[in-house]
Amino acid sequence: MHSNTLFLLFSLFLILSALMVILSKHPVFSLLFLVSCFLFSSFLLFLLECEFLGLLFIVVYVGAIAVLFLFAVMMLEAKAINLSKNIVKYVPIGFFFALFFLTPLFNKISFHFKDNIFRDSFYLNKYQNWYDLSNSICDIEVYGQVLYSNFILSFLLAGFILLVVLIGVVHLTNNFNNNKILKQSVFKQLSRNSKFFF
Amino acid sequence: MGNNIYNVVSLQSFTVFAEYFIALSILYILIVVTLITYNSNGLMLQKSISECSALILFMACYLMMNDDLIALDFLSFNHSIINDYFSFITKFLVCFFSAVYFLLIADSLKEQKLTSFEYLIIILFAILGLMLMCSSNDLLITYLAIELSSLSFYVLASYKKTSTYSVEGGIKYFITGAVSSAFFLLGSSFVYGMSGSITFCDFHDLFCCSLLDTSFTFFINENTWVNFYTNLNIPWFERYCIALTKVVLESFVVPLLFDFSFLEVGFTLILFSLFIKLALAPFHLWSLDVYEGSPTSTTIFFAVITKLSIFVLLIRLCYNAFFSLKDCWQYYSLWVGVFSVFIGSFGGLKQRRLKTLMAYSSTSHMGYALLAMSTATYFSIQMVLFYMVIYMISGLCIWSIFLFLRLRRKTIAAKYNKELGDFALLRKSNTPISFALALTMFSLAGIPPLAGFFAKASVFFQLINTSSYLVALITILCSVVSTFYYIRIIKIIFFENLLVGKLYYPIDSEKTIILSFLTFALIFLFINPTLLYLICLKVVLTLSPLSSNIILISSF
Repeated sequence: MHSNTLFLLFSLFLILSALMVILSKHPVFSLLFLVSCFLFSSFLLFLLECEFLGLLFIVVYVGAIAVLFLFAVMMLEAKAINLSKNIVKYVPIGFFFALFFLTPLFNKISFHFKDNIFRDSFYLNKYQNWYDLSNSICDIEVYGQVLYSNFILSFLLAGFILLVVLIGVVHLTNNFNNNKILKQSVFKQLSRNSKFFF
Repeated sequence: MGNNIYNVVSLQSFTVFAEYFIALSILYILIVVTLITYNSNGLMLQKSISECSALILFMACYLMMNDDLIALDFLSFNHSIINDYFSFITKFLVCFFSAVYFLLIADSLKEQKLTSFEYLIIILFAILGLMLMCSSNDLLITYLAIELSSLSFYVLASYKKTSTYSVEGGIKYFITGAVSSAFFLLGSSFVYGMSGSITFCDFHDLFCCSLLDTSFTFFINENTWVNFYTNLNIPWFERYCIALTKVVLESFVVPLLFDFSFLEVGFTLILFSLFIKLALAPFHLWSLDVYEGSPTSTTIFFAVITKLSIFVLLIRLCYNAFFSLKDCWQYYSLWVGVFSVFIGSFGGLKQRRLKTLMAYSSTSHMGYALLAMSTATYFSIQMVLFYMVIYMISGLCIWSIFLFLRLRRKTIAAKYNKELGDFALLRKSNTPISFALALTMFSLAGIPPLAGFFAKASVFFQLINTSSYLVALITILCSVVSTFYYIRIIKIIFFENLLVGKLYYPIDSEKTIILSFLTFALIFLFINPTLLYLICLKVVLTLSPLSSNIILISSF
């Protein structure tokens, strides 16, 4: 019951911050709300005892992707001009998708994954399996044991995917034109006056 | 000790030997070529590397031929790799046709100004992903193989970064590909939520009871049980038996009638993601711009080689894992197939750009293959394979002719995207190649003395066999319409009313030998299609869970 309250609290925060991602005008603020979204969802994963996935969320999404986006947005200095106009344009389509795609889907999910009907009755199995608690190993440890033995092929494939992406990105962003490369000239740098204060 | 060594070097579980070979040789090429080109700028290595990759793929074909399928494990890597005749023959086809593809594009890379060696290595990576897709028996491996191949496709589409069209095509492909991957993941998470497993064999074992839900209750109704007991001729026992039968039915059979609607949602999402990858009709819009924008050698790869392994995946999902959801996938594939045949035939009518025209043509051909798959009978897999092999042969033939014909111009800026008018009076300047082009066009249109006729006719026969007459009628009419644009190209080549045609650079002999073999194959497969038919039939007969399904149906 205790964990259930925490779960509801975090999911409420998650929904609120997800709303704020869309509603906030400034892109930097919406990105910060996105970061908080990822944090709350990783809290939810911790409550469900998926420690590895929660940590992965924080490391990958918050640490890499969101911060990268944040830097890009701050550098590009994007202006949100026609935002209200766009909202008027896209809201009906959003409602359309919500009505005809999400509602049947949620209906199906709630139909197939019901609550435990014995929750309040006498038959609910309430005993705590102490053996499992004392002798269990952590999520991360399990992944470490399984990844290199049972899922070795998937692991190698993931490595190959990374290699493809690496080669592709190096080709697509590399500029072989030597004239345009910016070089550091020490003399120019040293002879500049500082303009920071005046 | 000896036992230990035997376990370590157990060749039985070495099932993806060809894939290991290709992967290791990619890494080897990468390191060696990087070391060679490290200090020397402007070294042109494309021709040698592409011939080397063709050699690697031919050797992989040889390795696969030498593998004895019976000696290897049927399922390996935790049931995530299946090793049957179907995966063997499709992997062999992918390898063989990509090797031919490498030989065909070897010279033209320099003319297209694709000079850096990474291009060929990325194509090799894509082929590795396609081969793993053919032999995967697991949603995880499937997803990773799809991602490996499609990430390489994005890079290949946008490879020519100086051209705006190429970059635009790459970004469009990336966005649609990302949407399709998201659909795949959502669908597989639903399927996992319902079944608790990700291997295809488990899906087959778990859900085959729903196959029985109509037939089982219909045939094992009260009468069969009662008849069994009434032979005893004891009246009170008979009444007792009827009551017992009802109890048995309600307690054992009804729980088998599990509600599959949520599973169908997940499975449909996976199907749609694969349809997006195949560029079938409601999802085909990306293909027009991507085919037009990306460099021609990339377009050949997209149009010809990538389609077969996605079909293998579709067949594995539909016939092996979810054969019980037959109604669901049959419905969607019939609709999508008819729609893509329609769009592919009517969309190309006003198109004058050659690559977009061929994109429409490939959409309609994928529609025919999907229609052949949708019939859910014994021989539909055979027909799909037959269709795809002929499609690949004629596709390679026609696209390589488009690649080879380079206009002789005085200006330096040569355009690579051809229009229909560029072929005007090709017969006068280069007679043999114009005849090869005309033959392939007739084969694509499905006109009798060529192999394409058998491919299309078998699809129509298959549709008529399963008594979907309306679908057969519509597709036959659409195929008649689509012959218009194939024959228009032939008219432009032979009978255009011009005095001055265009001049082309000559084509060197080794490419013409390959091209004439491909064209000859189209005629040969009309005269003697039995060879290909029998290979495809063997595939059907050796698909084990499928044959058990069909025996089940035919027994009821």
